[in-house]
Amino acid sequence: MSTISVLQEGPVNALALNKDNSQVAIGGRNVFKVYSIEEDCFKEICNLRASKHLNLSFSCNDVAWSSTDDNYLATAATNGHVCVWNLTKSGKAMQEQVYQEHKRTVNKVNFHSSEPYRLISGSQDGTMRYFDMRCKAAVATFLSNTESVRDVQFSPHMPHTFAAVSENGSVQLWDVRRTEKCIQQFTAHSGPIFACDWHPEATWLATASRDKTIKVWDLTTSKPTLDYTIHTIASIGHVKWRPQRKYHIASCALVVDCSINIWDIRRPFIPFAAFNEHKDIASGVAWRGDSQVFLSTSRDCSLIQHSFKDASRPASKANIQALDISTKGNTLFGMRVPVSTNTTKPTGLMRKSSTSTISDQFHQSASVLHQFTHVSVCNDLSSFEFLAKNYILYGRSFPEMCEHNAAVAKECGKSNISTIWKIVNTMYGELYVKIQAMHNNGGLNLMNNVDASSTEKKNNDVVGEAAAAQFSSADDDVEGEDQVDHTAVANGYHTYNKYGHPKGDFSFGENELDLELDALSIDYRNGMRNQNQLQQQEDWTLPNEAFNIRHEIRDRSPPPEQFPNNNSPDFNDDSHSSTVDEQPTWLVSVSKIPPMPIWDPSASLIESLKHHAEKGDVQTSVSVLIVLGEHRKNLKTLDENTVTHWLMGYIQTLERFRLWNVKALVIELAWIPSISQMNQQSTRINTNCSQCLKPLQRSGWLCDRCHSTDASRCSICHQVVKGLYVWCQGCSHGGHLMHMQEWFSKNKQCPTGCGHLCEYR
Amino acid sequence: MFEAAEINAEHKDLIHDVAYDFYGNRMATCSSDQYVKVWDQIGNEKWTLTSSWKAHSGSVWKVTWAHPEFGQVLATCSFDRTAAVWEEIIGETPGPGERGTRHWVRRTNLVDSRTSVTDVKFGPKCLGLQLATCSADGIIRIYEAPDVMNLSQWTLQHEITCKLSCSCLSWNPSLTNNHPQMIAVGSDDNTAQTGKVFIFEYSENSRRWMKIETIITIMEPVHDISFAPNLGRSYHILAVATKDVKIINLTPIKDNSSIQSGLTKLDVQTVAQFTDHTCTVWRASWNVTGTVLATSGDDGCVRMFKMNYINSWKPVTVLKGDGAVIPNDAHRGSIASSTGVLTPPITQTASYNDSGSMVRNGVNYTLKPTNCPQHIPPRLFKRIRQSFNSI
Repeated sequence: MSTISVLQEGPVNALALNKDNSQVAIGGRNVFKVYSIEEDCFKEICNLRASKHLNLSFSCNDVAWSSTDDNYLATAATNGHVCVWNLTKSGKAMQEQVYQEHKRTVNKVNFHSSEPYRLISGSQDGTMRYFDMRCKAAVATFLSNTESVRDVQFSPHMPHTFAAVSENGSVQLWDVRRTEKCIQQFTAHSGPIFACDWHPEATWLATASRDKTIKVWDLTTSKPTLDYTIHTIASIGHVKWRPQRKYHIASCALVVDCSINIWDIRRPFIPFAAFNEHKDIASGVAWRGDSQVFLSTSRDCSLIQHSFKDASRPASKANIQALDISTKGNTLFGMRVPVSTNTTKPTGLMRKSSTSTISDQFHQSASVLHQFTHVSVCNDLSSFEFLAKNYILYGRSFPEMCEHNAAVAKECGKSNISTIWKIVNTMYGELYVKIQAMHNNGGLNLMNNVDASSTEKKNNDVVGEAAAAQFSSADDDVEGEDQVDHTAVANGYHTYNKYGHPKGDFSFGENELDLELDALSIDYRNGMRNQNQLQQQEDWTLPNEAFNIRHEIRDRSPPPEQFPNNNSPDFNDDSHSSTVDEQPTWLVSVSKIPPMPIWDPSASLIESLKHHAEKGDVQTSVSVLIVLGEHRKNLKTLDENTVTHWLMGYIQTLERFRLWNVKALVIELAWIPSISQMNQQSTRINTNCSQCLKPLQRSGWLCDRCHSTDASRCSICHQVVKGLYVWCQGCSHGGHLMHMQEWFSKNKQCPTGCGHLCEYR
Repeated sequence: MFEAAEINAEHKDLIHDVAYDFYGNRMATCSSDQYVKVWDQIGNEKWTLTSSWKAHSGSVWKVTWAHPEFGQVLATCSFDRTAAVWEEIIGETPGPGERGTRHWVRRTNLVDSRTSVTDVKFGPKCLGLQLATCSADGIIRIYEAPDVMNLSQWTLQHEITCKLSCSCLSWNPSLTNNHPQMIAVGSDDNTAQTGKVFIFEYSENSRRWMKIETIITIMEPVHDISFAPNLGRSYHILAVATKDVKIINLTPIKDNSSIQSGLTKLDVQTVAQFTDHTCTVWRASWNVTGTVLATSGDDGCVRMFKMNYINSWKPVTVLKGDGAVIPNDAHRGSIASSTGVLTPPITQTASYNDSGSMVRNGVNYTLKPTNCPQHIPPRLFKRIRQSFNSI
């Protein structure tokens, strides 16, 4: 059976199916019809509002169809009438009985399931009336002692019992033979109860309330027990147990939610199925005898037959897994786990059908949550913290900082970063400055171009060797002799050695400095130089130079296609470092030094910084840029936006690691106004004098009015604190940071003796 | 190497989301049981439950932290069609030396959606306090709190219709003004044969959010989407969890037409596609530097991917959801023959810890700020200022 619908002329309040579920009666303020349910449509059989003499008793709040006699309908009218309709008759005679006994609108009518002619009504006036259709008046009246009765339902299990729910949140059980007092009464909800429904098989009563819950009560004992509570997203107007599915119940909301939800009461948080066909809130639900089809009416004027195969399953769209990575690289992972199914199920009443696989699994939902903690000693994130804390970014000479930072990087296993620092040192250290100075002065033309074929090689090697010598200066025994030779020949460079030695008070790495790395760094340089010169070759012009065009570069070391990774073994290749050993062949033949062809390492440096930034390592990029200081102006092609981006990235990462001091330092050293201004935001604090409460405006420590410095005296040494001042927000006493630290390492109470237990962290 | 520890979250239904805070010392979990729980890590070991409350009247789909500059603030979204913003309040200290009680207060309830709100994310900090939500009816909403000190006032700034049911969204976390604000949205619709990932950009010219790209190569339902943190890249990386893992590079192209329209043109390239999970992939999450992507799928594994030095993405680690760690040796695929060190899961019970070590305002010592302001997050500063003014 498929989903079919029919539109009415007005909102529909209720529906009722006949006993063999082939016809449906619907009622509303302006609607009162009977349809037969065909295979693919609704066929109107009878319009009970066709009569010319319409009055308020034709407008229904509720419709009920006798379960014993197919010809009888009952309606609850808005004017307080309870009407009984005989479908075998026509015209005015159809309205067989009109009971005008309720003083206010009638909310519900309900036929007795086995006794013909018997029906009960619940009204807004707080009473329930029991009718026999053969009598002109009510057989019995029940006073609920509440303001209004919203629903009445005969129990399918106890023939004389009916349940009534009221707006004050109470449930009453009545015996139709005892009008004076209810059998049982209990408060079920904190808000009005709008509907109730007896479970067709179990002894459960479901109640639906404005408090957004559906509650399932077990009424076998004298004291009702709350077995299940379903939390819904809106006030519930109607509930109906699903036939043949013990744990399923259909609900429709009174506001907000237009869909009809089918819940598994064992999973009270998310609907098992939802039907979203209605455009306005649904007003009634009736199952067509089996579990797969039901009908519903809505305020959107429609009557719809829903087929379960068209249901949407909200839970299936739900994310069943949860995953996140922390700053420290820890990973949280929550996932659905199968719940062991060998739990004892209540047997007997539970029927299994072929389609029950989904429903069996549906209610068993649980997740496990694991944290995977990074335990390896050296990972990217721990080294980030180490580097951030140990880099020196200012206050020393450029080569010193580079050397130090290279050593720091090496110490935590980042030899590639260490190499960068060394290269930067070489490229922009004293050596580079000298070369540049020479170049700017027109060049020290000490030598002619003796051997054109070796010039290129020589240039390579001069600079390369100088760098190597500088690197190896920490362990001179390796290349000391070459170094001396060089110094003698390349007389422009004799100063470099002085600066080659780290002046800092750190000497680690001295013994660890491995040759491979030095060779490696030379390779970098050769590679980069070649690459660079190849680039320059294309637009090589000789505006001022007084020497011949040199021949094509003999490209001995292939330009590296990538910035090397420290894990890559290729760079320990011996073939490149062998170039260093060839020098003596030309060294002796040189009589003049050619003008230093100024090679600008900026392009390569920018490229490598960009490479690091793209690999997520802005720390290196930013630190190098900061240390470069004035040399930054050489990096002309590095645009400010990119650098700002890097700085922001580094600063944010420092924040994540709570490295506030480093962050403040980076901001302070930043040369880009938008970054360095960050230190000036939200930094004001206003203080009041502790004596006279006058705001301290002129200075933070002296009160203009009472000339007291009490507010800013250290509680320990009683001196005025200039500089870092800490205070307790609880007792407002404080003092020098150092004094406070010392005091609270031993004590818990405030040093002034005020008795406050300050918390110092 | 990873060590696994089970956290007994004691949620009564599925856990749909977990989120670490900015520093990684707190986490929040949310579940279908309509509860949100906040956990604190004391020292380096145990997670202790510090708050637990019924946040919604439907399944809570997502939970997300705001930048700590705005305080301890969470946003949640739910099946009950609302999104909510929560702030942690530290109550009055009951006595000297004792800690005040902490609880979370609902600052606002965003009720504009007519259907389930499937995702909620705070915008990048540099944009102030912005919140994006997306819902099952395909509407993306951007809210803003004009006054960051008043979390109860949020204005709906933009409503973007996406036509397809949205399941997930991600802000581009880029930190510069090089890139305009950007949001990627994924749809879990499984009927329409169209692209399921949409990129929206805020156009300064028209002051509206405009769709600038539909990634047509992804036609399968998308379950999660995540921009990689961009600390210094010139392009953006987007991870998409669908039936497999996709990593997509979005490179802005600068040409005349994009300058004229004021909208970025993107070069979209799928740089990696991993079918390692061999089944539906549910989540994708980046580490803080955007170098490692973790994904999880129906196979119950977390798989991590990393870009190597020649810019190609490679699987690096596999973590089993039951706590086992599988090292990724040369023979991928042979996951069953695990040689990893299996750490017995440590079960810890959730208990309220009253001696938490969260460093927040309350009774504590702070530095006098005029000299060393950056040591304390600005928000804390404002609080200090307020409290000092009240002395």
